[in-house]
Amino acid sequence: MRADRLPHIFCSGCGNGTVLNCTLNAVDQMGWKKEETVFVSGIGCSSRAPGYILADSLHTTHGRALAFATGIKMAKPELHVVVLTGDGDLAAIGGNHFIHACRRNIDLSVVCMNNMIYGMTGGQVSPTTPRTALSTTTPYGSAEPAFDLCELAIAAGANYVSRWTSFHVKELTRAILAGLRIPGLSFIEALSQCPTNFGKRNKFRQAMDQVEYFKTHGILIEKVQRLREEGKDIPPDAIVLGEMIRRNRPAMGVRK
Amino acid sequence: MRLVIDEKRCKGCDLCTMVCPYRIFQPGKRPNMRGIVVPELDRPERCPNTRLQALYGRTLCGMCQMICPDQAISWQEERPGEKRKVAIEF
Ligand SMILES: Cc1ncc(C[n+]2csc(CCOP(=O)(O)OP(=O)(O)O)c2C)c(N)n1
Ligand code: SF4
Ligand code: SF4
Ligand code: SF4
Repeated sequence: MRADRLPHIFCSGCGNGTVLNCTLNAVDQMGWKKEETVFVSGIGCSSRAPGYILADSLHTTHGRALAFATGIKMAKPELHVVVLTGDGDLAAIGGNHFIHACRRNIDLSVVCMNNMIYGMTGGQVSPTTPRTALSTTTPYGSAEPAFDLCELAIAAGANYVSRWTSFHVKELTRAILAGLRIPGLSFIEALSQCPTNFGKRNKFRQAMDQVEYFKTHGILIEKVQRLREEGKDIPPDAIVLGEMIRRNRPAMGVRK
Repeated sequence: MRLVIDEKRCKGCDLCTMVCPYRIFQPGKRPNMRGIVVPELDRPERCPNTRLQALYGRTLCGMCQMICPDQAISWQEERPGEKRKVAIEF
Protein backbone atom coordinates (compact mmCIF):
# COMPACT_ATOMS: atom_id res chain seq x y z
CA MET A 1 0.00 0.00 0.00
CA ARG A 2 1.05 3.53 -0.61
CA ALA A 3 0.64 4.83 2.92
CA ASP A 4 1.16 8.42 1.80
CA ARG A 5 -2.01 8.33 -0.28
CA LEU A 6 -4.27 7.04 2.48
CA PRO A 7 -7.03 7.59 3.49
CA HIS A 8 -8.41 6.68 0.08
CA ILE A 9 -11.39 8.14 -1.73
CA PHE A 10 -13.77 5.24 -1.12
CA CYS A 11 -16.80 6.15 0.97
CA SER A 12 -17.14 4.99 4.54
CA GLY A 13 -17.90 1.28 4.58
CA CYS A 14 -17.23 0.71 0.89
CA GLY A 15 -16.40 -2.94 0.19
CA ASN A 16 -13.75 -2.05 -2.37
CA GLY A 17 -11.22 -1.41 0.39
CA THR A 18 -11.83 -4.88 1.82
CA VAL A 19 -11.42 -6.56 -1.57
CA LEU A 20 -8.23 -4.56 -2.10
CA ASN A 21 -6.90 -5.87 1.25
CA CYS A 22 -7.63 -9.45 0.20
CA THR A 23 -6.02 -9.02 -3.20
CA LEU A 24 -2.86 -7.53 -1.74
CA ASN A 25 -2.70 -10.24 0.89
CA ALA A 26 -2.88 -12.91 -1.82
CA VAL A 27 -0.25 -11.17 -3.96
CA ASP A 28 2.00 -10.95 -0.87
CA GLN A 29 1.57 -14.65 -0.23
CA MET A 30 2.65 -15.35 -3.79
CA GLY A 31 5.83 -13.44 -3.03
CA TRP A 32 5.74 -11.53 -6.30
CA LYS A 33 8.12 -8.61 -6.42
CA LYS A 34 6.64 -5.21 -7.16
CA GLU A 35 8.85 -4.80 -10.22
CA GLU A 36 7.31 -7.82 -11.90
CA THR A 37 3.66 -7.25 -11.04
CA VAL A 38 1.31 -4.94 -12.89
CA PHE A 39 -2.15 -3.92 -11.73
CA VAL A 40 -4.53 -2.85 -14.48
CA SER A 41 -7.91 -1.17 -14.06
CA GLY A 42 -10.49 0.74 -16.03
CA ILE A 43 -12.70 3.54 -14.76
CA GLY A 44 -14.94 3.49 -11.70
CA CYS A 45 -14.59 3.58 -7.93
CA SER A 46 -13.28 0.03 -7.86
CA SER A 47 -10.83 0.87 -10.59
CA ARG A 48 -9.23 3.54 -8.41
CA ALA A 49 -7.75 0.78 -6.29
CA PRO A 50 -4.46 0.22 -8.20
CA GLY A 51 -3.58 3.85 -7.49
CA TYR A 52 -3.04 2.91 -3.84
CA ILE A 53 -0.75 -0.03 -4.51
CA LEU A 54 3.00 0.26 -4.41
CA ALA A 55 3.63 -1.36 -7.80
CA ASP A 56 3.30 -0.52 -11.46
CA SER A 57 -0.28 0.17 -12.39
CA LEU A 58 -2.21 1.14 -15.45
CA HIS A 59 -5.42 3.12 -15.04
CA THR A 60 -6.96 2.80 -18.47
CA THR A 61 -10.09 3.97 -20.24
CA HIS A 62 -13.54 2.81 -19.24
CA GLY A 63 -14.09 -0.89 -19.93
CA ARG A 64 -10.75 -1.47 -21.59
CA ALA A 65 -8.75 -2.82 -18.68
CA LEU A 66 -8.73 -6.33 -20.14
CA ALA A 67 -7.67 -5.08 -23.56
CA PHE A 68 -4.68 -3.26 -22.06
CA ALA A 69 -3.87 -6.23 -19.85
CA THR A 70 -3.89 -8.52 -22.88
CA GLY A 71 -1.42 -6.20 -24.53
CA ILE A 72 0.92 -6.26 -21.55
CA LYS A 73 0.77 -10.02 -21.29
CA MET A 74 1.42 -10.54 -25.00
CA ALA A 75 4.34 -8.11 -25.06
CA LYS A 76 5.91 -9.25 -21.78
CA PRO A 77 4.65 -12.66 -20.69
CA GLU A 78 7.07 -12.67 -17.76
CA LEU A 79 5.05 -10.01 -15.94
CA HIS A 80 2.29 -10.97 -13.52
CA VAL A 81 -0.84 -9.09 -14.48
CA VAL A 82 -3.73 -8.55 -12.08
CA VAL A 83 -6.85 -6.76 -13.31
CA LEU A 84 -8.99 -4.94 -10.73
CA THR A 85 -12.29 -3.90 -12.18
CA GLY A 86 -15.90 -3.01 -11.43
CA ASP A 87 -19.09 -4.58 -12.65
CA GLY A 88 -19.93 -1.74 -15.02
CA ASP A 89 -16.39 -1.67 -16.26
CA LEU A 90 -16.21 -5.40 -16.89
CA ALA A 91 -19.72 -6.44 -17.87
CA ALA A 92 -21.32 -3.36 -19.41
CA ILE A 93 -18.90 -1.35 -21.51
CA GLY A 94 -16.19 -3.99 -21.38
CA GLY A 95 -18.40 -7.05 -21.83
CA ASN A 96 -16.98 -7.91 -25.21
CA HIS A 97 -13.39 -7.74 -23.98
CA PHE A 98 -14.37 -9.95 -21.08
CA ILE A 99 -15.79 -12.82 -23.10
CA HIS A 100 -12.93 -12.73 -25.55
CA ALA A 101 -10.29 -12.62 -22.85
CA CYS A 102 -11.99 -15.71 -21.38
CA ARG A 103 -12.14 -17.36 -24.78
CA ARG A 104 -8.45 -16.75 -25.42
CA ASN A 105 -7.79 -17.82 -21.85
CA ILE A 106 -5.00 -15.31 -21.38
CA ASP A 107 -2.92 -15.77 -18.25
CA LEU A 108 -4.49 -12.94 -16.23
CA SER A 109 -6.12 -12.76 -12.81
CA VAL A 110 -9.29 -10.72 -12.91
CA VAL A 111 -10.80 -9.54 -9.62
CA CYS A 112 -14.19 -7.95 -10.18
CA MET A 113 -15.54 -5.83 -7.34
CA ASN A 114 -19.18 -6.27 -8.10
CA ASN A 115 -21.20 -3.69 -6.22
CA MET A 116 -24.23 -4.23 -8.47
CA ILE A 117 -24.39 -0.56 -9.46
CA TYR A 118 -22.44 2.21 -11.23
CA GLY A 119 -20.93 3.70 -8.10
CA MET A 120 -18.78 6.51 -9.41
CA THR A 121 -21.36 8.17 -11.62
CA GLY A 122 -24.06 8.28 -8.95
CA GLY A 123 -25.91 4.99 -8.86
CA GLN A 124 -27.21 4.09 -12.31
CA VAL A 125 -28.37 0.57 -13.06
CA SER A 126 -25.65 -1.86 -14.12
CA PRO A 127 -25.90 -5.26 -15.86
CA THR A 128 -25.53 -7.00 -12.51
CA THR A 129 -28.15 -5.00 -10.61
CA PRO A 130 -30.61 -7.52 -9.19
CA ARG A 131 -34.16 -7.47 -10.48
CA THR A 132 -36.47 -5.06 -8.59
CA ALA A 133 -33.52 -3.18 -7.07
CA LEU A 134 -33.82 0.59 -7.08
CA SER A 135 -31.26 2.88 -8.67
CA THR A 136 -31.30 6.42 -10.07
CA THR A 137 -32.23 5.15 -13.53
CA THR A 138 -34.71 2.53 -12.28
CA PRO A 139 -36.80 4.43 -9.71
CA TYR A 140 -39.54 1.78 -9.84
CA GLY A 141 -37.16 -1.15 -9.58
CA SER A 142 -35.04 -2.77 -12.23
CA ALA A 143 -37.16 -4.80 -14.66
CA GLU A 144 -34.27 -6.68 -16.24
CA PRO A 145 -32.75 -9.93 -15.06
CA ALA A 146 -29.14 -9.58 -13.93
CA PHE A 147 -26.00 -11.02 -15.45
CA ASP A 148 -24.36 -13.92 -13.66
CA LEU A 149 -20.73 -13.05 -14.32
CA CYS A 150 -19.42 -16.41 -13.13
CA GLU A 151 -21.66 -18.37 -15.48
CA LEU A 152 -20.59 -16.04 -18.26
CA ALA A 153 -16.90 -16.63 -17.56
CA ILE A 154 -17.39 -20.39 -17.39
CA ALA A 155 -19.30 -20.46 -20.67
CA ALA A 156 -16.68 -18.29 -22.34
CA GLY A 157 -13.85 -20.53 -21.22
CA ALA A 158 -12.00 -19.16 -18.18
CA ASN A 159 -9.76 -21.65 -16.39
CA TYR A 160 -10.71 -20.70 -12.85
CA VAL A 161 -13.91 -19.04 -11.66
CA SER A 162 -15.06 -18.38 -8.15
CA ARG A 163 -17.33 -16.01 -6.28
CA TRP A 164 -17.10 -14.65 -2.74
CA THR A 165 -18.19 -11.50 -0.99
CA SER A 166 -16.57 -8.78 1.07
CA PHE A 167 -17.75 -10.56 4.21
CA HIS A 168 -15.87 -13.79 3.39
CA VAL A 169 -12.41 -12.25 3.57
CA LYS A 170 -10.45 -15.42 4.26
CA GLU A 171 -12.18 -17.41 1.54
CA LEU A 172 -11.83 -14.54 -0.89
CA THR A 173 -8.09 -14.32 -0.20
CA ARG A 174 -7.74 -18.05 -0.72
CA ALA A 175 -9.69 -17.88 -3.98
CA ILE A 176 -7.56 -15.00 -5.29
CA LEU A 177 -4.43 -16.92 -4.32
CA ALA A 178 -5.67 -19.97 -6.25
CA GLY A 179 -6.47 -17.69 -9.18
CA LEU A 180 -2.99 -16.16 -9.17
CA ARG A 181 -1.41 -19.62 -9.19
CA ILE A 182 -3.47 -21.05 -12.04
CA PRO A 183 -2.27 -20.45 -15.60
CA GLY A 184 -4.90 -19.05 -17.90
CA LEU A 185 -7.63 -16.58 -17.09
CA SER A 186 -8.84 -16.74 -13.52
CA PHE A 187 -11.93 -14.76 -12.67
CA ILE A 188 -12.82 -13.97 -9.08
CA GLU A 189 -16.05 -12.13 -8.50
CA ALA A 190 -16.12 -10.31 -5.16
CA LEU A 191 -19.55 -9.00 -4.28
CA SER A 192 -19.03 -5.79 -2.36
CA GLN A 193 -21.26 -3.29 -0.68
CA CYS A 194 -21.78 0.24 -1.95
CA PRO A 195 -23.50 1.92 0.99
CA THR A 196 -23.62 5.28 -0.76
CA ASN A 197 -25.33 4.41 -4.00
CA PHE A 198 -26.73 0.90 -3.70
CA GLY A 199 -27.30 0.45 0.02
CA LYS A 200 -29.19 3.59 0.82
CA ARG A 201 -31.71 2.98 -1.97
CA ASN A 202 -32.17 -0.69 -1.25
CA LYS A 203 -32.95 -0.94 2.45
CA PHE A 204 -29.36 -1.32 3.57
CA ARG A 205 -29.04 1.86 5.59
CA GLN A 206 -25.56 1.02 6.85
CA ALA A 207 -22.65 -0.78 5.26
CA MET A 208 -23.05 -3.42 7.98
CA ASP A 209 -26.57 -4.29 6.88
CA GLN A 210 -25.49 -5.29 3.42
CA VAL A 211 -22.53 -7.26 4.71
CA GLU A 212 -24.91 -9.02 7.09
CA TYR A 213 -27.07 -9.81 4.06
CA PHE A 214 -24.07 -11.37 2.28
CA LYS A 215 -23.41 -13.39 5.42
CA THR A 216 -26.95 -14.72 5.81
CA HIS A 217 -27.80 -15.23 2.14
CA GLY A 218 -24.56 -16.78 0.94
CA ILE A 219 -24.91 -20.45 0.02
CA LEU A 220 -22.10 -22.72 -1.08
CA ILE A 221 -22.10 -24.14 -4.60
CA GLU A 222 -21.72 -27.66 -3.15
CA LYS A 223 -24.91 -27.18 -1.19
CA VAL A 224 -26.73 -25.89 -4.26
CA GLN A 225 -25.68 -28.98 -6.19
CA ARG A 226 -26.83 -31.22 -3.35
CA LEU A 227 -30.19 -29.47 -3.17
CA ARG A 228 -30.57 -29.86 -6.91
CA GLU A 229 -29.82 -33.57 -6.77
CA GLU A 230 -32.32 -34.02 -3.99
CA GLY A 231 -34.84 -32.11 -6.05
CA LYS A 232 -35.27 -29.44 -3.39
CA ASP A 233 -35.81 -25.75 -4.02
CA ILE A 234 -33.00 -23.26 -3.80
CA PRO A 235 -34.05 -20.00 -2.12
CA PRO A 236 -34.54 -17.43 -4.91
CA ASP A 237 -32.51 -14.71 -3.18
CA ALA A 238 -29.54 -16.96 -2.35
CA ILE A 239 -26.09 -15.84 -3.40
CA VAL A 240 -24.19 -18.84 -4.73
CA LEU A 241 -20.63 -18.76 -3.45
CA GLY A 242 -17.55 -20.87 -3.88
CA GLU A 243 -15.30 -22.26 -6.55
CA MET A 244 -17.35 -22.70 -9.70
CA ILE A 245 -14.76 -24.25 -11.97
CA ARG A 246 -11.10 -25.17 -12.13
CA ARG A 247 -9.89 -26.68 -15.38
CA ASN A 248 -6.94 -26.83 -17.68
CA ARG A 249 -7.77 -25.43 -21.09
CA PRO A 250 -4.84 -24.30 -23.22
CA ALA A 251 -3.84 -20.81 -22.11
CA MET A 252 -2.19 -17.87 -23.88
CA GLY A 253 0.61 -15.74 -22.55
CA VAL A 254 2.03 -18.35 -20.18
CA ARG A 255 5.78 -18.15 -19.79
CA LYS A 256 7.41 -21.16 -21.36
CA MET B 1 1.88 -5.48 20.99
CA ARG B 2 -0.97 -3.07 21.13
CA LEU B 3 -4.12 -3.07 18.99
CA VAL B 4 -4.73 0.39 17.59
CA ILE B 5 -7.17 2.09 15.25
CA ASP B 6 -5.60 4.82 13.16
CA GLU B 7 -7.98 7.72 13.71
CA LYS B 8 -6.66 9.49 10.63
CA ARG B 9 -7.80 6.62 8.40
CA CYS B 10 -10.91 5.21 10.07
CA LYS B 11 -14.17 6.34 8.51
CA GLY B 12 -16.42 4.91 11.20
CA CYS B 13 -18.19 2.26 9.16
CA ASP B 14 -18.35 -0.15 12.13
CA LEU B 15 -17.61 -3.20 9.98
CA CYS B 16 -14.96 -4.25 12.50
CA THR B 17 -17.59 -4.43 15.25
CA MET B 18 -19.29 -7.17 13.29
CA VAL B 19 -16.42 -9.61 12.80
CA CYS B 20 -14.40 -9.79 16.01
CA PRO B 21 -15.06 -13.06 17.86
CA TYR B 22 -14.26 -11.31 21.18
CA ARG B 23 -16.34 -8.24 20.38
CA ILE B 24 -13.37 -6.05 21.14
CA PHE B 25 -14.65 -3.35 18.80
CA GLN B 26 -17.69 -1.55 20.18
CA PRO B 27 -19.55 1.18 18.31
CA GLY B 28 -18.11 4.52 19.35
CA LYS B 29 -20.12 7.24 21.01
CA ARG B 30 -18.37 10.54 20.40
CA PRO B 31 -17.11 11.99 17.12
CA ASN B 32 -13.40 12.70 17.02
CA MET B 33 -11.81 15.91 15.74
CA ARG B 34 -12.52 14.84 12.16
CA GLY B 35 -16.19 14.30 12.97
CA ILE B 36 -15.92 10.55 12.69
CA VAL B 37 -17.30 8.17 15.29
CA VAL B 38 -14.38 5.77 15.68
CA PRO B 39 -15.21 2.46 17.40
CA GLU B 40 -14.05 1.99 20.98
CA LEU B 41 -11.84 -0.88 22.04
CA ASP B 42 -13.14 -3.06 24.84
CA ARG B 43 -10.10 -4.61 26.59
CA PRO B 44 -8.04 -4.89 23.39
CA GLU B 45 -5.39 -6.91 25.23
CA ARG B 46 -7.69 -9.93 24.73
CA CYS B 47 -6.87 -10.06 21.03
CA PRO B 48 -4.52 -13.03 20.52
CA ASN B 49 -2.33 -10.95 18.25
CA THR B 50 -1.28 -8.67 21.09
CA ARG B 51 0.52 -11.58 22.77
CA LEU B 52 1.21 -14.18 20.14
CA GLN B 53 2.00 -12.36 16.91
CA ALA B 54 5.72 -12.18 17.59
CA LEU B 55 5.79 -15.76 18.85
CA TYR B 56 4.12 -17.23 15.79
CA GLY B 57 5.68 -14.78 13.36
CA ARG B 58 2.41 -14.15 11.59
CA THR B 59 -0.94 -12.50 12.11
CA LEU B 60 -3.48 -14.69 13.86
CA CYS B 61 -7.21 -14.30 13.21
CA GLY B 62 -6.85 -10.88 11.59
CA MET B 63 -10.50 -10.62 10.59
CA CYS B 64 -10.77 -7.00 11.69
CA GLN B 65 -7.68 -5.97 9.75
CA MET B 66 -8.84 -7.72 6.59
CA ILE B 67 -12.38 -6.39 6.62
CA CYS B 68 -11.47 -2.80 7.51
CA PRO B 69 -11.88 -1.05 4.15
CA ASP B 70 -9.67 1.80 5.26
CA GLN B 71 -6.59 -0.12 6.42
CA ALA B 72 -6.97 1.54 9.83
CA ILE B 73 -6.35 -1.42 12.16
CA SER B 74 -2.88 -2.54 13.11
CA TRP B 75 -0.77 -3.84 15.96
CA GLN B 76 2.02 -1.67 17.23
CA GLU B 77 5.10 -2.59 19.18
CA GLU B 78 5.14 -1.08 22.68
CA ARG B 79 7.75 1.48 23.45
CA PRO B 80 10.49 0.11 25.73
CA GLY B 81 9.44 0.35 29.36
CA GLU B 82 5.80 0.95 28.52
CA LYS B 83 3.38 -0.85 30.82
CA ARG B 84 1.42 -3.64 29.23
CA LYS B 85 -1.68 -5.40 30.22
CA VAL B 86 -2.23 -9.07 29.49
CA ALA B 87 -5.58 -10.80 29.38
CA ILE B 88 -6.28 -14.30 28.22
CA GLU B 89 -9.72 -15.35 27.18
CA PHE B 90 -10.64 -18.99 26.74
C1 LIG C 1 -16.26 5.75 -22.36
C2 LIG C 1 -16.87 6.16 -21.07
N1 LIG C 1 -18.22 6.02 -20.87
C3 LIG C 1 -18.79 6.35 -19.70
C4 LIG C 1 -18.03 6.84 -18.68
C5 LIG C 1 -18.69 7.23 -17.39
N2 LIG C 1 -18.44 6.34 -16.29
C6 LIG C 1 -17.46 6.57 -15.40
S1 LIG C 1 -17.41 5.45 -14.13
C7 LIG C 1 -18.76 4.64 -14.79
C8 LIG C 1 -19.36 3.44 -14.11
C9 LIG C 1 -18.39 2.53 -13.43
O1 LIG C 1 -19.09 1.55 -12.79
P1 LIG C 1 -18.40 0.27 -12.21
O2 LIG C 1 -17.41 -0.26 -13.18
O3 LIG C 1 -19.49 -0.62 -11.74
O4 LIG C 1 -17.51 0.75 -11.00
P2 LIG C 1 -17.96 1.22 -9.56
O5 LIG C 1 -17.81 2.70 -9.58
O6 LIG C 1 -19.36 0.76 -9.35
O7 LIG C 1 -16.99 0.56 -8.64
C10 LIG C 1 -19.19 5.25 -15.97
C11 LIG C 1 -20.36 4.78 -16.76
C12 LIG C 1 -16.64 6.99 -18.89
N3 LIG C 1 -15.83 7.46 -17.91
N4 LIG C 1 -16.09 6.65 -20.07
S1 SF4 D 1 -19.87 5.24 -4.49
FE1 SF4 D 1 -20.10 3.12 -3.77
S2 SF4 D 1 -18.48 1.97 -4.83
FE2 SF4 D 1 -17.97 4.14 -4.97
S3 SF4 D 1 -16.60 4.53 -3.22
FE3 SF4 D 1 -18.68 5.06 -2.59
S4 SF4 D 1 -19.45 3.19 -1.62
FE4 SF4 D 1 -17.67 2.61 -2.85
S1 SF4 E 1 -7.47 -10.00 15.14
FE1 SF4 E 1 -9.39 -11.10 15.52
S2 SF4 E 1 -9.53 -11.24 17.76
FE2 SF4 E 1 -8.02 -9.68 17.31
S3 SF4 E 1 -9.18 -7.77 17.34
FE3 SF4 E 1 -9.12 -8.48 15.21
S4 SF4 E 1 -10.99 -9.64 14.93
FE4 SF4 E 1 -10.69 -9.43 17.14
S1 SF4 F 1 -13.69 -1.20 9.93
FE1 SF4 F 1 -11.98 0.25 9.88
S2 SF4 F 1 -12.83 2.15 9.05
FE2 SF4 F 1 -14.56 0.87 9.68
S3 SF4 F 1 -14.99 1.54 11.78
FE3 SF4 F 1 -13.59 -0.21 11.94
S4 SF4 F 1 -11.55 0.73 12.03
FE4 SF4 F 1 -12.94 2.29 11.27
